[in-house]
Amino acid sequence: MALSLAIEGLDAGYGAVKALRGVTLHVEAGETVALLGTNGNGKSTLMKCVMGLVRPDRGRLTLTIDGRAHDLARLPAEAIVDLGVALVPEGRRLFPRLTVLENLMLGAFRKAARSAIERNLALAYETFPALKERRSQLAGTMSGGQQQMLAIARALMSSPRLLLIDEPSVGLSPLLVSQTIAKIGELKQRVGLTVLMAEQNFNQAIRIADRGYIIVHGEIAVAAQSVEELKANDIVKRLYLGGVA
Amino acid sequence: MFSMDLLLGAVVLGVLLGCFYAAVSVGLSISFGLLDVPHVAHPAFLVLASYGVYQLNETYDIDPLLAGLAITPLFFLFGLLAYRVYYETFEKRGTDAGVRGIAFFFGIAFIIEVLIILQFGVDQRSVTATYIGKAWRFGEYRIPIRQLVAFAVALALTILLAVYLSKTFMGRAIRAVAQDEEALRLMGANPVRIKQFAFGIATAVLGIAGALLIIVAPVEPTLDRAYIGRTFCVVVMAGLGSISGTLIAAIILGVAESIVLTLFGASWAPAISFAMLLVVLAVRPQGLFGR
Ligand SMILES: Nc1ncnc2c1ncn2[C@@H]1O[C@H](COP(=O)(O)OP(=O)(O)OP(=O)(O)O)[C@@H](O)[C@H]1O
Ligand SMILES: [Mg+2]
Repeated sequence: MALSLAIEGLDAGYGAVKALRGVTLHVEAGETVALLGTNGNGKSTLMKCVMGLVRPDRGRLTLTIDGRAHDLARLPAEAIVDLGVALVPEGRRLFPRLTVLENLMLGAFRKAARSAIERNLALAYETFPALKERRSQLAGTMSGGQQQMLAIARALMSSPRLLLIDEPSVGLSPLLVSQTIAKIGELKQRVGLTVLMAEQNFNQAIRIADRGYIIVHGEIAVAAQSVEELKANDIVKRLYLGGVA
Repeated sequence: MFSMDLLLGAVVLGVLLGCFYAAVSVGLSISFGLLDVPHVAHPAFLVLASYGVYQLNETYDIDPLLAGLAITPLFFLFGLLAYRVYYETFEKRGTDAGVRGIAFFFGIAFIIEVLIILQFGVDQRSVTATYIGKAWRFGEYRIPIRQLVAFAVALALTILLAVYLSKTFMGRAIRAVAQDEEALRLMGANPVRIKQFAFGIATAVLGIAGALLIIVAPVEPTLDRAYIGRTFCVVVMAGLGSISGTLIAAIILGVAESIVLTLFGASWAPAISFAMLLVVLAVRPQGLFGR
């Protein structure tokens, strides 16, 4: 099962606001790629473009599955989900007045995922036991950490092949961030996922990333082939590793 | 004069009436409660369904409940169409959809009233069935069988809908769509299609509810006006979108109306729903089981 995502020369924005300029990026099967950048640099916009929630002004978004290329810029979000792409959105975006279990079941809305519900639910509960205990609780009444677990588990319920995760660390304590990142790494191994993860937390993100990009003002400033290369980069040293500008 | 027995009788009849109110309100609980569509034409759709049932009963002598079932698919399509028009003209353009939507649905309600008058005249219409006209007695009580039939069918309908909304993929998506449309898209569902389908269901249910309306009592073209207060009272009291809440709120309204009817006479009954609606909005705007 070969899958890859290729983004070329992507421009996107909101009316007069240009959020992405000429972004070129690729994710190959089985990789975990980090998209690093501080606030307002366009990470979420990029994620939304891949999901079909924001339409690019220019450039190409191509998802290749088993040799077949799909032009994501032309597909509605539902069709992109159907191709096996899932997003854990910024701010989690749970259905607050539905229970944990109902949120998970909605994750399996796409037809192809319905036959795998038992297995995916077992995996979700095994990975996040708190969700099993709280399956009848309303999602909106859970703690931030539990909500993040649910958001990740809900995305997994759709049996994705490409998982996009937008800032899983936001609003969590350092310990929870560390646990959440570890869980993502663990899941990735078990399910054989391909992952593109937006993060501000450099040190946490590189624990599970194979390589990464740095996005600054909507442009890719660094494209590193490995975590070592990333750490050695000057921009990274300045932005994240406390080096002097 | 007032007696314990009289009160008990009023409560029993009120519970029966309340379940019937649940059946006529539950569609609004979806369209207004879950989808935020200001569907003031809901009672007009209901009365239209009653006339459909009347026509089938009159011409082909079909049992009113079966006639209600027969028009249900038509009403489903009618609902799909009505939502599409509402969506394209108002909701899609955003912002002031609420106020203009109300005007739109009032217009539809008015047109329906006029069309019914043109077709059937202003006289009351009723249906015939073996269970209409008979009563069930025990001791000094007398319960019309038509009330019992309406009660049983209404209860079954409401429970069926509650189960549908909580146990099926479509039902869960319908409850989720008003909470976060974009998140629902991320689940692979098209929110507009989900809402359209939900509106179809909410309208389809009126096939049966319309049958119950004309089984319980004769109908006339402007009967929808009496049900605007009742249906909105029930849905708001329930807490928007709660189906079990709808059943309980409807029973509360039914019992209240029945007691007032027994103690003060029939002329007061229609005012009850508006009074309760105002009290709920003032005291507990989120409703009994609200978000
Ligand atoms: N809906 C919107 N309307 C207008 N401008 C927007 C909208 N969403 C984002 N922007 C702008 O686009 C730019 C990129 O925002 P984006 O949310 O993609 O950044 P981000 O890297 O995800 O930031 P953060 O780390 O804070 O989540 C910002 O300048 C932002 O103000
Ligand atoms: Mg963001």
